[in-house]
Amino acid sequence: MTLIECRGLTREYRRGENVIRPLDGLDLDVPRGDFLALMGPSGSGKTTLLNLIAGIDRPTRGTLVIDGTDLAQLGRSRLAAWRSEHVGYVFQLYNLVPVLTAYENVELPLLLHRMSAKQRHDRVAEALELVGIADRHGHYPRQLSGGQEQRVAIARAIVTDPTILVADEPTGDLDKASASAVMQLLQRLNRELGKTIVMVTHDPGTTRYAKRTLHLDKGRLVRETGPAADAEIAAVPEEVAA
Amino acid sequence: MIPGKMVPLVVKQVVRHRARTLLTVAGIAIAMFLFTAVQAMHAGTAAATRRTADDTTLVVYRQDRFCPATSVLPQDYESRIERIEGVVSAMPIQVVVSNCRTSLDVVTFRGVPKEDFLAERPSIEVIDGSIEDWRRRTDAVLVGEALASRRGLRAGQTFDAAGITAYVAGVFRSAQAQDQNTAYGALEFVQLSSRKGLGRVTQFNVRVRDASMLDRVADEIDEMFRTAQEPTSTYTEKAFVGRIASDVVELVGFARWLGIGCLAAVLTLVANAIVLSVQGRVAEHAVLQTLGFTGGLVARLIVAEGVLVALLGGAVGAAAAVVAARLGQFALSVEGQAIPITAGAPLLLSGLAICGVIGVLAGLVPAWQASRREIASCFRAV
Repeated sequence: MTLIECRGLTREYRRGENVIRPLDGLDLDVPRGDFLALMGPSGSGKTTLLNLIAGIDRPTRGTLVIDGTDLAQLGRSRLAAWRSEHVGYVFQLYNLVPVLTAYENVELPLLLHRMSAKQRHDRVAEALELVGIADRHGHYPRQLSGGQEQRVAIARAIVTDPTILVADEPTGDLDKASASAVMQLLQRLNRELGKTIVMVTHDPGTTRYAKRTLHLDKGRLVRETGPAADAEIAAVPEEVAA
Repeated sequence: MIPGKMVPLVVKQVVRHRARTLLTVAGIAIAMFLFTAVQAMHAGTAAATRRTADDTTLVVYRQDRFCPATSVLPQDYESRIERIEGVVSAMPIQVVVSNCRTSLDVVTFRGVPKEDFLAERPSIEVIDGSIEDWRRRTDAVLVGEALASRRGLRAGQTFDAAGITAYVAGVFRSAQAQDQNTAYGALEFVQLSSRKGLGRVTQFNVRVRDASMLDRVADEIDEMFRTAQEPTSTYTEKAFVGRIASDVVELVGFARWLGIGCLAAVLTLVANAIVLSVQGRVAEHAVLQTLGFTGGLVARLIVAEGVLVALLGGAVGAAAAVVAARLGQFALSVEGQAIPITAGAPLLLSGLAICGVIGVLAGLVPAWQASRREIASCFRAV
């Protein structure tokens, strides 16, 4: 069942006299429960596509329908409400709020939802537990390692139980061990919780965790590769997984 | 303005950016201290010089004289003034001041007929010592609360000022501004101690039956003594203070511009703090919007931070000014007329309200800018 449907999706920016077109008439279907990796050289339109799917950017032309909602038809406020309900975003640089603790960072998106303090507490505790960082709940971002920060960011992205999880180079700023741990975590979220994940990556090694990989160039889809071999994923050492 | 569950978020942003908040709050507090002090002076001046419907007192002074040292009137004017239709009483007063010029610490002695004074001031409350002691002793004075507090005077002590050595029979509280910085003694005691001599006084305080009679009675008094050797000028009590202390009133009026300057400084400080904060948190605000916060909500959070910082600074500065005014019991005294610097809860509350408005104004533009940014472009910029 298609969750994300892109038809003729185009995004243009005007920079002085020049028109830059990072996305150029892209057609794409992403089924529910997919784990999609987007690869391509810089400027190929990966992040632009990700931002359009996340509802933080708008297409210049074409349609983008997610879970039955045409995002182009939503005004700013309704789009914000839609993001709050349907999207969890994981950034390359984590983008945690520095003056908030891990717990408070994860609680942030829940402040937009109608729920009691007790319900929020339970949800945050569950999310932190799921990403394996519950014991660091009172730490500020500056007191965490990069891998731990990214786990907090993932907890923040999943705490509202969003329809889609988008990740922009989630391992781009991490060492190899932390990167593997984060990727395994995303894979678990996809496999065990059925989260639909769209991830931008430069690292071919991380694509093996995805179900399929799309290669973009100059704003167009140029190639699709199939799911990575389970054997490759199983080869991740135990201590890294921990 | 913002949902209740967002308030802790605003508080954390302000409290946990400790250095930035402390510096901004300190700057605001200093400016608001000055502003509140100016407002306190203005409030005191207004209370001392603004005529109200309840005013029924006239002050009769020597014509063309502005200082108690040079205003000399025969004491026997009293009986002639009391014969004028509408006059309830005329109280001769000998005024002696420790300093004729404008000062924050002037001791003013007022020699009055004791029983007449008590009849005129039924509402005074002796908070230390006793009235009986004051009645009994010829060198006794009743000291206004502000003067006693400023000079550390208590009942039973003697003190020297303006060449007079007086015994403090009591300290009293009065609603009248002039009383708070005055020591009241027997008329003869002050006349003799100041070497002015008996039979001559500085002024008469004339009480009339009704406020509507003030102007007519004043004219009649001045007309009565127009050709006398010591002609008079008669004013309502508030107008008299305003005339004597006109320089002070003018200075306080000018000081209000300084107060407005202080507010401008507060506005600039808060605006600067918010602009720097917003510029440094472009990505953070974009993240909030990515999470689903609307641009409007982000804007309101920014404004709320500005309001909170402004209120913190305003509370510290205004409270410090109010406490200083209360403890110091300062009064701007000129020619024996005291204009108390009055600061209380209303001034504190108005200071806070002004800071709240300044916080909103200072935050509006950066908040609006932050709310209108394209989210994706914020991440590209970082």
